[in-house]
Amino acid sequence: MNAGKLLTLVQKEWLELLRSFKLIWVPLVFVVLGIMQPVTSYYMPVILEKAGNMPEGTVIEIPLPSGAQVLADTLSQFGVMGLLILALSFMGTVSGERNSGATSLVLVKPISFGTYIAAKWISMMTLTWGALLLGYAASWYYTWLLIEQVAFGPFLLSYILFGLWFTFILTGTLLFSTLLRSAAGAAFSSLGLAVLLSLLAGLMPKYLSWSPGSITGSAYQAVQSLEGFDALASFGWSIGITVLLIGAGLIGSAAMLRRSPALD
Amino acid sequence: MNRLLQVEGLVKTFGTTQAVKGIGFNIKEGRCTALLGPNGAGKTTTIRMLTGLLKPTEGKIEFQGLRPGEDQRSLLGYLPQSPAFHNWMSGMEYAVYAGKLCGLSAGEAKSRAKELLGRVGLADAANRKIGGYSGGMKQRLGLAQALIHRPRLLVMDEPVSALDPIGRREVLGILKELKEETTVLFSTHVLHDAEELCDDVVIIQSGQVALQGSLSQIQSDHRRPVIELKLEDKESSMEWARSFVERHQTDDAWRMIIEDAHLEDRTLRLTVLDMEKARQALTEELAKQRVGFVRLEAGYSSLEDLFMKVVGA
Ligand SMILES: Nc1ncnc2c1ncn2[C@@H]1O[C@H](COP(=O)(O)OP(=O)(O)O)[C@@H](O)[C@H]1O
Ligand SMILES: [Mg+2]
Repeated sequence: MNAGKLLTLVQKEWLELLRSFKLIWVPLVFVVLGIMQPVTSYYMPVILEKAGNMPEGTVIEIPLPSGAQVLADTLSQFGVMGLLILALSFMGTVSGERNSGATSLVLVKPISFGTYIAAKWISMMTLTWGALLLGYAASWYYTWLLIEQVAFGPFLLSYILFGLWFTFILTGTLLFSTLLRSAAGAAFSSLGLAVLLSLLAGLMPKYLSWSPGSITGSAYQAVQSLEGFDALASFGWSIGITVLLIGAGLIGSAAMLRRSPALD
Repeated sequence: MNRLLQVEGLVKTFGTTQAVKGIGFNIKEGRCTALLGPNGAGKTTTIRMLTGLLKPTEGKIEFQGLRPGEDQRSLLGYLPQSPAFHNWMSGMEYAVYAGKLCGLSAGEAKSRAKELLGRVGLADAANRKIGGYSGGMKQRLGLAQALIHRPRLLVMDEPVSALDPIGRREVLGILKELKEETTVLFSTHVLHDAEELCDDVVIIQSGQVALQGSLSQIQSDHRRPVIELKLEDKESSMEWARSFVERHQTDDAWRMIIEDAHLEDRTLRLTVLDMEKARQALTEELAKQRVGFVRLEAGYSSLEDLFMKVVGA
């Protein structure tokens, strides 16, 4: 793998994200989602009061959720809406270029298939981790303003765990995008994988604690837990396996691309 | 002469159809070679195997002068039949991008891109988005990006087939210059384009090589004297022509001097064995039978006749 060529390819991907405005609106959606969670939690009693036709004099008593609870709810929002938007943004990353014929020009240049896939992945991950950080930080800040401060340690740990989950699913999007002709197929398959793994991990937490699907649960736990919570001891297995699967997904993508660099 | 590329026994099977059935040829350094054949002959399939975009089912593709460990793709510049770029880039950005992917430094890529875009006539459009380019402009940008790293071999698939007459002239003009500087292989189904540009041809038909060699050699090997007679639009003359076509193989005197005769519309075309005698005998016959004709021409068969014969059209 040649660093100069990798950088050239990554720069091209970033420029494409910028020119298609994904670099702007994807983080924006995350920020909006992130702010909405603490804001709606805070104003929920007021909203209910205004919306509901309560008899005169009814007193609504909803306890304000804890700051950690609000952040966990934010992550859960990101896990649905955020992941959907990211998967839709990246679903045609390889298949689109292959279907248009653009890969026929690029992959006859002396670059390795691995470099091409790595560049795609790096650019995807910069957007993913960046958008997640902005959105989550916005949520953290508003939670602090409106409810209470959540310590930085649990915030950072839950961010990293959730980023890992996103990385895993979006590596799946990349793999399916090199495997399938249809972009929608790639989005559907990877989101389906996310739903399946989360469901299974929820249904059988004892037996599937090693599965990538349990990482989201770990992230919720991490943000709500107290000092001295040891992430690696609690879910080291699922982290290790997820990292391995991400590596396998990348190698698989490069192999698929080598098998059919362009449409026959 | 130095061989740059050697292809042997190339086979490609798609499912049950065999698109390429054992093609072999050599490309000599500094020459321009045309892969000539009708649509569906297997030209695109062959070229895509040379570029590495398609894996051969069988066969060998060997580049000479490849240093150990060197990627064979670094010797190649490739222009597909209808090149697709990233439409959101400008022509200049794409050419620089292509240069860097071939291992040029940023500065080198930029100066090469500038030089080549000027050369293919895109200097003014260099900073416009590719999405707004015409077909001819895309073809010329395709040439520029293929040449950016000074490849030893330029490979093009039907470089002018999809263009309008003006675009075609422009691209042919550029190719004429380029072939002086680098080895060129291109495919076409138009004989005229091959004749205009090439030194060597490989004629393929149904996935097989029908004929190959240098254009001048093929021309002289297969050149036959022919006489063309265009008849007057009169029943008696046409009657004579029809009977002559039937008669020339049975009549001993004619059989010695005429190899083949066929009538197409009002033109009688004779492939002759002995031009002197044929001319003499034919004029006597025409006078004796009072055949009315519009034109009588003696000459040689063209490459087109040969091409038609070889591809069986
Ligand atoms: N991907 C493919 N699957 C099946 N058949 C194919 C495929 N590509 C080409 N062919 C067949 O192979 C033959 C040669 O095609 P091609 O190389 O495109 O010819 P040419 O470029 O000379 O017009 C054709 O009969 C075509 O239908
Ligand atoms: Mg073709």
